[in-house]
Amino acid sequence: MRTIDPRPRVHWRGSLAVVLAAGFGLVATAWPLLASPGGALTETSSGPWMFALLLPVVTAVVLVQLSDGGMDARAVAMLGVLSAVVAAVRPFGAGAAGVETVFFLIILAGRVFGPAFGFILGNTGLFASALLTGGVGPWMPYQMFAAAFVGLGAGLLPGAGRAPAAWRGRVGELAMLAVYAVVASLAFGLLLNMSFWPYAITQGNLAYVPGALPGENASRLVAYSLATSLGWDLGRAVTTALLIVLTGPLLLRILRRTARKARWIESA
Amino acid sequence: MNARSARAAAPRGSGAPGRTAKGHEVSGHGANGSGPRRRGAHPVAWWGWALLLATAASRTGNPWLLLLIAAVAGLVVVFCRGDEPWSGAYRVFLFIGLSAIAVRMVFYVVFGGSDGSTVLFALPSVTLPDWAAGFRLGGVVTLEGALAALYDGLRLATLLVCVGAANALASPRRLLRSVPAALYEVSVAVVVALSVAPQLVQGVARIRRARALRGNTRRNPADLMRTVVAPVLHDALDRSLALAAAMASRGYGRSAGIPAPARRTTSAFLLIGLLGLCAGAYASLSSVIPSPLAWGLLAAGAAAATCGIAFASKRVPHTRYRPDAFGSRDWAILASGAAAVAGTVLSGYFEFGLLWPATNPPQVPPLPLAATCGVLLAAAPAMLVPTQTKEGPA
Repeated sequence: MRTIDPRPRVHWRGSLAVVLAAGFGLVATAWPLLASPGGALTETSSGPWMFALLLPVVTAVVLVQLSDGGMDARAVAMLGVLSAVVAAVRPFGAGAAGVETVFFLIILAGRVFGPAFGFILGNTGLFASALLTGGVGPWMPYQMFAAAFVGLGAGLLPGAGRAPAAWRGRVGELAMLAVYAVVASLAFGLLLNMSFWPYAITQGNLAYVPGALPGENASRLVAYSLATSLGWDLGRAVTTALLIVLTGPLLLRILRRTARKARWIESA
Repeated sequence: MNARSARAAAPRGSGAPGRTAKGHEVSGHGANGSGPRRRGAHPVAWWGWALLLATAASRTGNPWLLLLIAAVAGLVVVFCRGDEPWSGAYRVFLFIGLSAIAVRMVFYVVFGGSDGSTVLFALPSVTLPDWAAGFRLGGVVTLEGALAALYDGLRLATLLVCVGAANALASPRRLLRSVPAALYEVSVAVVVALSVAPQLVQGVARIRRARALRGNTRRNPADLMRTVVAPVLHDALDRSLALAAAMASRGYGRSAGIPAPARRTTSAFLLIGLLGLCAGAYASLSSVIPSPLAWGLLAAGAAAATCGIAFASKRVPHTRYRPDAFGSRDWAILASGAAAVAGTVLSGYFEFGLLWPATNPPQVPPLPLAATCGVLLAAAPAMLVPTQTKEGPA
């Protein structure tokens, strides 16, 4: 008799795939700042569309690697249910940038069920919600990718092994998760902004100038962020952190109880 | 591919379709989207058609042509869409597109842009100091600049409208069946999510009713958390464990002896593909590496990754329940979309000026002939595909 942990494990191949995907994602979102004049990306305007098409391929490869060798039925069922919850709470967030009510769930689930689970939940949750609402747009690959890394990061935070016993440990855990939520939300907003910036505006003072020096584009990007989305990003960070502090104690208890129950005995 | 097992795995009462003696499937719930024998076109065909139309739209700045593309997409949606929850997506995306145009115009008026000689009106202008990036706010609004902003916004709006058409036409449940087999577990999770989501809503209603029957009708958020959210989540998660037990007892998740070399080959393909994509992406940033090499690296990486996924799909043995064939009609839909792209490419060679009309001086741009013909051909699915209805063969 041995107990089997239902959490998807991460092999070295899986971690390598995640690291490579993170590198690709960084280029796919931050290319307006990184591209040097005269490079392949600044010559044509088709680069960003290509990234939007390649990102799903990269995500699929990472998912195949992470679920390599078959995922446990418990993990699949739990992923399905939690994705449904994500899809159900998502409409409570406001409108186009409405990811505010999604992150806290992905962060809490990633914390309890581990980085691989968080990564997959970020993908399946946003995908299911897009399918349910008919909102499959060019922004979806970016959102799925970013939410996946938010879940992954939450699973990698220190001390994820077991629930803290003392109340001081629980408060510390919540504080850590809330700080992580703020950082992740702001980074998410900035990266998503950057990936969409060249499409959103093409003329004037705030527009991306292909092939300009990184410094000049950076100041334009900051101005663009201030003008458009800083309010959204701050709102997202604050709501996510607040939701974690308010619902965290209850949700962490529920999720940990399920994780404990799922670790059933299997005869070897 | 996985409808059988996924439906078997889905919790009871989620509406597994029953079958009549004739073999016709009686849809248990309307959201299933798949009629019995003759059903709407393949969702992949619709997505391909819409993306080709979007490609055509991205290759032009001619407002008439863009409006024509949006109209063709709308026409096909009106003729071919079914009566499903997602069928209204076209209108939603139309509004998103219109707001994109509005945002673009506001940006032009506030932050300025390309200038011309025909002044429409002038706003008081402020120039920010140098430490605040030295931007000019407000100022002169010209007809030429406004037209350029309008055309540009129209292009983005048309792209969004094309995506909206795909959302309205393609059934997501059928699309999930076309997911590569290597992503089987993940797609099962999404299928489970799609069938659990309505149950969650029912669960909330049930538990609120039970709570009200016990005399608790308080609207205090903390109380709601404790007495509604917690039971609903406990219920859903416990049900997921029961579902997992059901799946495991039916043999789900047992790895079928895959030889180690095959496994290693797949992994190698996938990782090499990712490496190639990464290298290509970084190469495309640099000015030292020639761009053909960068694009080549990206293409090679994408090809290797796709091969890896295909390999991984091959080695997952599974049966297909009612395979969703990609028929001649679906190819015709794809071809009609390709005609639009071909038209814009032809126009790009022969009538480049019409494809990208100048806004300075302002003029009424004429329609490019080849591109117009191509876009009109893309309306063919309206005649090819019968309207999807919920009940009975169309």
